[in-house]
Amino acid sequence: MSALLEVRHATKTFRSGAGARRRRVMALDDVSLSVGEGEIVALVGESGSGKSTLGRAVVGLERLDGGKALFEGVEYASMSERSLRELRRQMHLVLQDPYQSLHPGMRVATAVAEPLEIAGTGNAKSPKVAEALEEVGLTPASQFLARYPHQLSGGQRQRVVLARALVGRPRLVVADEPTSMVDATLRAGIVALIRQLRDHHGIAFLVITHDLDMAAAVAEQVAIMQRGRLVECGPTPEVFAAPSHDYTKMLLRAAAEVGRLDVAD
Amino acid sequence: MSRRQSPGKILGRVGLVLLAVPALAAVFAPLTARHSPTRPSARPLLKPSLGHPLGTDDLGIDIFAQLIYGSRISLAIGLGAAVLAVVVGLTVALVAGWRRGWAETVLMRLTDVTLAFPFLPLVLVLAAFFGRGLIVTALVIGAVTWARPARVLWAQVLKLREYPHVQAARAMGATGTRCVVRHILTRLTPVTSAQFVRVANAAVISEAALAFLGLGDPNQASWGIMLANASSNNALLTGAWKWWMVPPGLALTLVVLGFAFTGYASEEWADPRLASTGRLRFLSSRRRRPSPAATAAAVETPDPGPILSVRDLVVHYDRQGPAVVKGVSFDVERERVTALVGESGSGKSTIVLALLGLLPGDPLVEGEATFEGRKLLRAAAAARVRGRQVGFVTQAAMNALNPAYTIHFQVSEAAALTMPQEEARRRATDLLETVGLPASDHGAYPHELSGGMRQRVVIAMALANKPDLLIADEPTTGLDLVTQAAILHLLGDLKDRLGLTVLLITHDVQMVMRVADEIVILQDGCVVEQGAVDTVVADPQQDYTRRLLNTRLSPLTVKV
Repeated sequence: MSALLEVRHATKTFRSGAGARRRRVMALDDVSLSVGEGEIVALVGESGSGKSTLGRAVVGLERLDGGKALFEGVEYASMSERSLRELRRQMHLVLQDPYQSLHPGMRVATAVAEPLEIAGTGNAKSPKVAEALEEVGLTPASQFLARYPHQLSGGQRQRVVLARALVGRPRLVVADEPTSMVDATLRAGIVALIRQLRDHHGIAFLVITHDLDMAAAVAEQVAIMQRGRLVECGPTPEVFAAPSHDYTKMLLRAAAEVGRLDVAD
Repeated sequence: MSRRQSPGKILGRVGLVLLAVPALAAVFAPLTARHSPTRPSARPLLKPSLGHPLGTDDLGIDIFAQLIYGSRISLAIGLGAAVLAVVVGLTVALVAGWRRGWAETVLMRLTDVTLAFPFLPLVLVLAAFFGRGLIVTALVIGAVTWARPARVLWAQVLKLREYPHVQAARAMGATGTRCVVRHILTRLTPVTSAQFVRVANAAVISEAALAFLGLGDPNQASWGIMLANASSNNALLTGAWKWWMVPPGLALTLVVLGFAFTGYASEEWADPRLASTGRLRFLSSRRRRPSPAATAAAVETPDPGPILSVRDLVVHYDRQGPAVVKGVSFDVERERVTALVGESGSGKSTIVLALLGLLPGDPLVEGEATFEGRKLLRAAAAARVRGRQVGFVTQAAMNALNPAYTIHFQVSEAAALTMPQEEARRRATDLLETVGLPASDHGAYPHELSGGMRQRVVIAMALANKPDLLIADEPTTGLDLVTQAAILHLLGDLKDRLGLTVLLITHDVQMVMRVADEIVILQDGCVVEQGAVDTVVADPQQDYTRRLLNTRLSPLTVKV
């Protein structure tokens, strides 16, 4: 059985600085990863580990220097922009900042309807829009449809972003730090919502996060990245119970230190 | 809720009225003016009378008719040139900014070249070359003024194309056209309308200038031509200026003001956020008397009591608005870490800003706050301790370091507030080492450091003048877990080593459980629970506290 998404030996280099300080940064160094149909995979690492670059490459916003990306077995890393556009409708990207992810001048209904409009299957008045809002817990939807983003709280905005993610029924959602900018009390709600969307619609998720506890709570599979390399990956309970890489152990200690995980003495 | 209108709406209405007068005059000119604006209708140089409200000019043409018909020319030239310049400028900006590559290079160099020409001489030369006439004048002015809108809008496009909502739309498979039209163009409206107004203004004035200098079409009665005629007929000497020069001059002024006000309102329309914040600017002078309870609750601070003591603090952002902080009391004990915990909107940051006298606008602050026996809450008192006895790490300060100076320079600059330069430089070196930055990094610029390292720099700056109390507002937000742990560790360590008192503000109880000694839990501007961390965590009294404590996502246990 082929995976829904497969990334094989992906590499990506960025140049930074100028003159004598000029250097090359390997954002992705031979990274291979796969996400199965309806599976939730967490990609964990510190800032600068290349996890966001991988997320952007998966949705085609970043071109790989080397390696392959396959969606249902079809190579798309080297596709033309036009063919890529069709494929992108099967995927969706959720970004960390709920304040910047929504156009401030677009009402909630218009923002959520965007994937439908792009695919030509609906508009802001479609019942699907209200259904999506209800599904992410913004009830009654009629109260939210006509609001502007600035009239919503951070947690509500992130829910709108998730409603937009599910309305077009994509096969895969790449969520880049979906909880890093919402209050601690709201994180659990977002995690429950991601699992619910997967259970009800079979949407696969690639959740990019630096929160190990978030990864543990949401994902079946976890992949740990450090400086552009994938250092460890496997089923979540196994990786957390018996981390094999020092870096994973260090991440777990840090999570315990900020009180995100319990500590056994 | 106040039903007062935002300033933009009021200005916009005024602007529209100012523009509506000449616009109506232009449309209904044949009805308003009884005489022809180009053919003589009476004897020359008549004084104002009922038949000729503004008299006649040297050829016997009715001046009032010229004024009315002149609005047609001014508005047509202003709007025509502005539409032309903005359409060209916007197209150049969008193509260059979205496509990038060679198109950008060619278009932006062309823009630079056009910008380099001085405006009025170029218009004069072009007008002299292409001849006189309404359309030619509008074209000439438009052809000279498109470059500034192009340049300004191009910079906006470059910024907007990286915005998450644009990236998200691209990731959804939206075409380039859709991204540009729905996501970029709509957010350019404020800047575009401001540019439109600028060009329209410039065009109206340039047309008048051209006409005054004799480059207008003498067969068209524009306001500039009227001024030119009046001037050549010595209106200033004969006293005729009162009805010959003042009316067209006033008309020009009103049109320019009208454009400016309308432009302001259109910015607000394009960005609904401005409409709600705009309200804050209009504040009435109605003052509330401090409540008797607050005045009675004067506290004594027996030495060595708490370093900071807050009693019945009430804060309104706006004198009429609701209270954001509703009677908060707590103490910060010496050499301990006190955590002020609450969700966003609970008022935790507001409390700190009020204590330090840093609230924006004209807030209403009531209650008492005593720091080392000194009454805070008065702007002067707060300013005296700020940066000296109290170090403050503001939210997201790590992103606000000056990119032009090295970190060592910035820390020594902070220290120079209370000590001579030489000593400040030495202190900066010590401080940076104290917060864990090796000497090899002291000459670095902020952008060369990671978020965690920048946060250490900010903490070093807050410690520069040996404060007794360090206030840190969400010092770990935006950092990854490893760095968060390191920063918390640093704060705990500083407390022990320097005998520092720390007031930590955060939304994350879990985070502070291991570092804080005391905890104050806020909800909706009120303290719901406070006490020693161990007590509160072991036996929370309030549901809200329990909920905050239950934010842990995973039941996993880690062996360290």
